[in-house]
Amino acid sequence: MRTKRLPGLLFLLLAAITVTALVVGCGAPSVGAPTAEPAQPAEPTKEAEPAGQEPAAPTALDFVVWSYGIETIQDNIKNFQAANPLCQINLKDYSWLDYHDTMVGRFAAGDPPPLLYGSDHWLQEWAAANWLAPVDASFPQVTEYSGELAPYALQGMTYNGHVYGLSYYADTIDFVYNAEQLTQAGFDSPPETWQDVWDMSIALKEQGITEYPMILAFSQQEGASIEALISMIYARHQGEGALFDAANEPTFAQEGSAAFEAIQWLKEAYDAGILDPASLQTAEIDQVKSMQAGAHTFTIFPQYNMAELNRPESGEFAGKFKIALMPGDSHSTVGYVRFYAMTPQAAAMGDAALECAWSFLEYFGGKTDGSYTVVKRWAVENGLGFAQLPLFDDPAVEEAFGKWGDVAVISQQAELARSKEGLTPWFGAWDVFTRAEVHKAILGQQTTMDSLNNMVVKWNELAQQ
Amino acid sequence: MNQRIGRRIESVSLNLLALILIIFIVGPLVWVAVASIQGENELLRHPPRIIPHDPTLDNYDYVFTGKIPTAYEVKGQLRSRISQEARLIPAALKNSFIVATSVMIVNLVIGSIAAYTFAWQRFRGRTFLLNFILGSRLLPVMAVAIPYYVIIQTLGLLDTYISLILIYLALTLPFSIWFLSSYFSGIPKDFEDAAHIDGCNTFQALTRVVIPIALPGLVAAAAFAFMASYNEFLFARFLTQSIDSQTGPVIISSIAGNPDASYSLISVAITLGLIPPLILAIVLRRWLTEGLSTSITLR
Amino acid sequence: MAQHPGAARRHHSLRLGRKAYPYLSILPVLIVVALFAIYPIIHAVRMSFYKYLLTRPNDHPFVGLGNFIEVITSYYFKNSIQVTAIYTVAAVVGVVIYGLGVALLLNTSIKLAGPLKIVILLPWALPAVVSGLLWKWILNADFGILNGLLYALGLIDSYIPFLADPTLAKLSLIMAFIWKEGPLVAIFFLAGLQLIPDEYYEAAKIDGGSAWTIFRHVKVPLLRAVFLIVIVYETMTAILTFDTIYVLTGGGPADSTALISWFAYAEIFKGLNLGHGIALAIIIAAVTLVLILVYLRALKPEEATS
Repeated sequence: MRTKRLPGLLFLLLAAITVTALVVGCGAPSVGAPTAEPAQPAEPTKEAEPAGQEPAAPTALDFVVWSYGIETIQDNIKNFQAANPLCQINLKDYSWLDYHDTMVGRFAAGDPPPLLYGSDHWLQEWAAANWLAPVDASFPQVTEYSGELAPYALQGMTYNGHVYGLSYYADTIDFVYNAEQLTQAGFDSPPETWQDVWDMSIALKEQGITEYPMILAFSQQEGASIEALISMIYARHQGEGALFDAANEPTFAQEGSAAFEAIQWLKEAYDAGILDPASLQTAEIDQVKSMQAGAHTFTIFPQYNMAELNRPESGEFAGKFKIALMPGDSHSTVGYVRFYAMTPQAAAMGDAALECAWSFLEYFGGKTDGSYTVVKRWAVENGLGFAQLPLFDDPAVEEAFGKWGDVAVISQQAELARSKEGLTPWFGAWDVFTRAEVHKAILGQQTTMDSLNNMVVKWNELAQQ
Repeated sequence: MNQRIGRRIESVSLNLLALILIIFIVGPLVWVAVASIQGENELLRHPPRIIPHDPTLDNYDYVFTGKIPTAYEVKGQLRSRISQEARLIPAALKNSFIVATSVMIVNLVIGSIAAYTFAWQRFRGRTFLLNFILGSRLLPVMAVAIPYYVIIQTLGLLDTYISLILIYLALTLPFSIWFLSSYFSGIPKDFEDAAHIDGCNTFQALTRVVIPIALPGLVAAAAFAFMASYNEFLFARFLTQSIDSQTGPVIISSIAGNPDASYSLISVAITLGLIPPLILAIVLRRWLTEGLSTSITLR
Repeated sequence: MAQHPGAARRHHSLRLGRKAYPYLSILPVLIVVALFAIYPIIHAVRMSFYKYLLTRPNDHPFVGLGNFIEVITSYYFKNSIQVTAIYTVAAVVGVVIYGLGVALLLNTSIKLAGPLKIVILLPWALPAVVSGLLWKWILNADFGILNGLLYALGLIDSYIPFLADPTLAKLSLIMAFIWKEGPLVAIFFLAGLQLIPDEYYEAAKIDGGSAWTIFRHVKVPLLRAVFLIVIVYETMTAILTFDTIYVLTGGGPADSTALISWFAYAEIFKGLNLGHGIALAIIIAAVTLVLILVYLRALKPEEATS
């Protein structure tokens, strides 16, 4: 009937598609993980020829990042391509909050990009799943950079003895205070211990300077909350083994351990109105904003936020925020690293692509003409920290960091920083599934020991899988 | 007399109720619009300023021209709450609009034809097919996200409008078919019989008689298809990779997830994102309450 | 029986067309739906019977019902089922009452019905991630506008951390759900009200019915089909609320807003345990199906639409 012509072509096309989908569905129960399955054979009829298939001159590589400073990245890519005309980089980005999950989906669906950002949280997870390629296997020269790196950063990029990337930025978790408010309360030096923090907080509260002197970004969605918590544990603990021993066996579930003390302190501080109850809903961005607004005196967060906190136009307390070494006997803290990584896809695309991948990694995370051009640009323009220790002596970096912080304290804290203990393929999952346990202890729904024990149970369960 | 007063009271109280609802509905949105013309520092006050002291269009200027608002400029530094992604908002909203409108149109056309069949035709396999269509939505989206990716990749459609349009059709069609078929079957049967007696075939009966009567239902289904597509996030973020196809929600959430996020800029993004649906709402409003009553007068 | 005998003398091809019409008319829909249903469902069901951990790429043994047993005995299952049940019941009841109320108001001739008709659509247009973000900001305990307003009006002495308290966080989430989903419910009820011929009201009024009896005995029965659809849709939406929670609370504090669907997501995308995640998803689908069947039974329209 004339009225029903429309489905004809559409039907044939979609029927073919359905069959294809069915065929895909009848394979082994695999999500097509590393079973290399390039996208070309399936669809000659579609208009899916955007770019890439003709290796006329340059080799095109996708580079996936989380959305931060996109224009700066594009500018860096432009410079890189000018220096390497045979390599073409296509930038793709996902938001930071979605980055891990989206990449997991892409990897699981069998569509890895050759180049991407990685993080120490997930290195082991991704490497164990064969999603990342060890850089030193193809380019042993990458290890030449190791000597200049802070140990925590190198550890964060190493799995099973292999180096998986070059650092994009690296930073420490720092204790920050509002110096003006502290002076107003009658203290002229920052706290050294958690008892100091307590006493000062009581004074701040009693004098009505800040209603809740301390805020933490402990929302259950905040990926960095585990790092803040571990920094409070490290600072109370001498040496290694604060959380896990060398065999990744938990050591923290006992009364009097640094972890016990840290969580117990938080619980008491919550009850005493020292810790802002809103901490349990706060994520990093709002944490920085409420510090700027002067609502709190103490906090803990990644160092790079100092540039924003002390930005001259940011409000009446701009320039008054200072870093103190993490309170505790050892003053140790967490150092973490985000890095440029490559996947087995780079090698699968051929030698030209692999060479481009290396040139890219080295341009972005290594040295060009003897200097860390891109790393330094992030540090100077955006205040991102770095793991390349020689950069601390770079005059441009010193000047930039001097604007919002005390370079001496920052580098001293960086030297005391350690990577997270327990970095294993299941660390990320353990973190997500145990955030609620810390909440329950702080809210008094269960004892601190109960929480710690539950965290061990979850750890062992994940480790056994 | 007494009745007049009763009417009066009823009218006043109903209007009052409507006013409360309007405040509840638009309150948050008005706040966003107000915030979008304020500087960040005003917003972080305790309590925040509800009426801006120093309104500025700088934030909008940045989104459209890339001119950095003076309040954010720090010598040589491009940091400070300027999420550069904010400049992608207009392009992303265009993508959203194209995708949502396409889904709305296709959904209405193929959806209403199918719904009409399910409502008034009897044929073998009807129950099975209807259950299949409705049941297809039972499995939570997180469980099918990875297979969806594989399908779209196999079709070579990653990072395209078509991928999103296809998926949103699959997500919205079951529900709009269910609603429309139930809606169509609520229309008194005499209308259709009259059409058949006049010599219309089934399809003509649908287009000439049923659709005009069912307009409010069709508008509701259209709004549903548009809104569901306009604001879908999980697949949009998963299947789009560049501004060629990234939609509004993807860009807004990436601005908001940026450590430099400023509430002013987020507000600009949200405010701009409300404009297309606002236009749609104004257009659709007329048809929402023009159903059976008008058709009856036609007869 | 839809074919009436008068057409008998038309020719053969037309008869065939008549027979084929139902299938042709649903074909496009069927293709799109099948494309995104058959493979994913087969894939999911198979996967649920295997131990499938992405961090163990070469080791996927068949485990039968192992995944189901593991998730049901997991530490979070009981709590998250409770949270899901409380949240879903409150959210669905709330949104249906709210949406129906708005629809009834829109169906009157009061002055503010016009403006209400325009603005009602707006919350619907906000992506759940964005509305979550918006509420998070409004409810913020340091610089939220709601706290600001309450404080300025003298109703509170100090800011309330709405999202940091297990009970208030749940309430906030339910309110955000109603705000965002209300428009859909209202529009669908409004469309349903439009189908009720004016004569019905007139008849009821002549019989001396009050507004309430008209509502109870004329509108509600005629809206049954809409009730059913809206309740089913909102139940599915509420059980699967993900974006809002992801942004607003992340499941916290202390898992007080962690729905079962959040754990399905977390098992897949955070824990990389596809077997667990999909087993949870299938449990959710089964529960949803049972609920739908219960609704169908309870709300079946009298004249049996099917």
